[in-house]
Amino acid sequence: MDQEGIMYLVFALLMPLISISVLPAFGGGIFTYIALFIILVGVALILMINWVDFMLFSLVSNLLNISFQPAAGYKLVKGQDAILKEVNGLYYATGFVTGNLFAYTFKEEVGEETEDPMKLAGAPEKWERAIIGLGFPFKYHVVSAGLDVQKVRDDLEGKRSYKEYQLSRAYVNAANEVTITDLQRRISVIQAKIDRISQGEKPIATLMYVETTAIGISEKAALDSLTSQIKALQVSLSALDVDLIRVVGRELYTLFKFNFSLPTSVEELSSSFDQQG
Amino acid sequence: MEKKIFIFLGLLGMSFILLAITVALPSGAGFDALKLLVLLVAVLADVLAFASRYYAYLMIPMFRQKKRFIILNDQTPYWLSSSADSVLQKEGEDFIATVYINVPLYRSATEMSDEEKINFTQQVSRLVGLSRDPARFTSELYVMNKDSYIQKLRDTINQVENEEAKATQGGASQSEIERVRGKLAMWRKMLDNVSKATSLELASFAAVSARGSKEFEAVTLAQQKARELMSGIGTTFGVTPSIVVGDEILKFIEPEYLIPFSTVSEQISKNVQEQVI
Repeated sequence: MDQEGIMYLVFALLMPLISISVLPAFGGGIFTYIALFIILVGVALILMINWVDFMLFSLVSNLLNISFQPAAGYKLVKGQDAILKEVNGLYYATGFVTGNLFAYTFKEEVGEETEDPMKLAGAPEKWERAIIGLGFPFKYHVVSAGLDVQKVRDDLEGKRSYKEYQLSRAYVNAANEVTITDLQRRISVIQAKIDRISQGEKPIATLMYVETTAIGISEKAALDSLTSQIKALQVSLSALDVDLIRVVGRELYTLFKFNFSLPTSVEELSSSFDQQG
Repeated sequence: MEKKIFIFLGLLGMSFILLAITVALPSGAGFDALKLLVLLVAVLADVLAFASRYYAYLMIPMFRQKKRFIILNDQTPYWLSSSADSVLQKEGEDFIATVYINVPLYRSATEMSDEEKINFTQQVSRLVGLSRDPARFTSELYVMNKDSYIQKLRDTINQVENEEAKATQGGASQSEIERVRGKLAMWRKMLDNVSKATSLELASFAAVSARGSKEFEAVTLAQQKARELMSGIGTTFGVTPSIVVGDEILKFIEPEYLIPFSTVSEQISKNVQEQVI
């Protein structure tokens, strides 16, 4: 969660906290219990919105049968999991799936010594094999942005120092072998990242997702076809060992807008995505 | 200050005021129930205040329009710049221009050695780290546009049908009628085969956006970023990328360009016919 998110959460939880402190004002007995229940439901809702807002809001729009028009000619369906467009009497349904391929296929988040060159060599072939059987259109997007090298390096050095401190404590306290090995492995992972930056590799933030479009002679036909296409994508791309989660809610709206304009800064990019995938 | 901050502060303020009213209300049989009601509204306002961080774009139109179909934006999502090489969008007072770059990559893993495969994945790694500003790299599988070819076939079929009608009514020889019918059968068979299955094409492209207070400023900045990215792509893969212009851009934006109308409608009608039979 970013700083803005923490600020929102803290201020929003302030109200229930104050409410609990004034519970005696409800006169005691059953009224106090009901007031406490209302406050706790409020807290639960805030926490749910913080972590699974996409589920909650799509549920609300689904139950109330509310659909949206994100731009002229487009329709965001009530489940908030697809965008529809009608052209010449045909319906085009577009959906999105998360697919963070980079960590696995191109460079794993592990130390240099465990990086398997055969895994890298197999990546292009796996990719081709995965898409060869798909008989429908889709797009695999990788949105990337360069990060501040010095800031990332400072962060990594901070993390390494903390892990080294933990390791020295583990030695002093005669911790078991598993703990020591785990800490040593974590330090070597951080060191590998620092080395890569030192060698001139730029740290980047990436966002990867798959977009697919299905066609149908009615809204329902297009949406059903989209669902089956997404399932086929999930099966096919699962060979690449990535989490393929269907995007719903506000993140779908943001990804839809990405088709027309991209974020122009890293902050703008990261503030839009922190929940799904 | 951003609009969503005002909404958050407004709802949070309302929540605190309602809580103060709850506490200030005198105790008594009727007032205790009223206190609970006011507390419920206060908690609801607090939950909405928190939700406004992500959902302000939905909440305001929902409260204003009170309908089942909510219009978030009634404008077309983009327009083409006068130079036809960028897509423009207005956000607040600013303009965002997006430039699409065609990356001509036509290599297959099947014709690569293991070393080439490793090199290729490393090139892809370098590609996504090329830009400091957010850039999007996409691999797009889309339905080949056979619209003009199908139209040509249909025109030919109509022409031969006329020829056949003339031959039959004009008392042409049996061998002449058979010849024309054979020709007609050939073209129909050709149309059948062309529209039997969808042919797919794979394209790779990159996109980059820039913000400006004037249209031309945004376009110039985006073009500049695109040129930087193009030189990086060219160096990494040894190919000559080009900026996509005119209608070609729509292939990367609009769903109907992913699945061309005639190509697909022909197939849909064939599927329907098959189902009926």
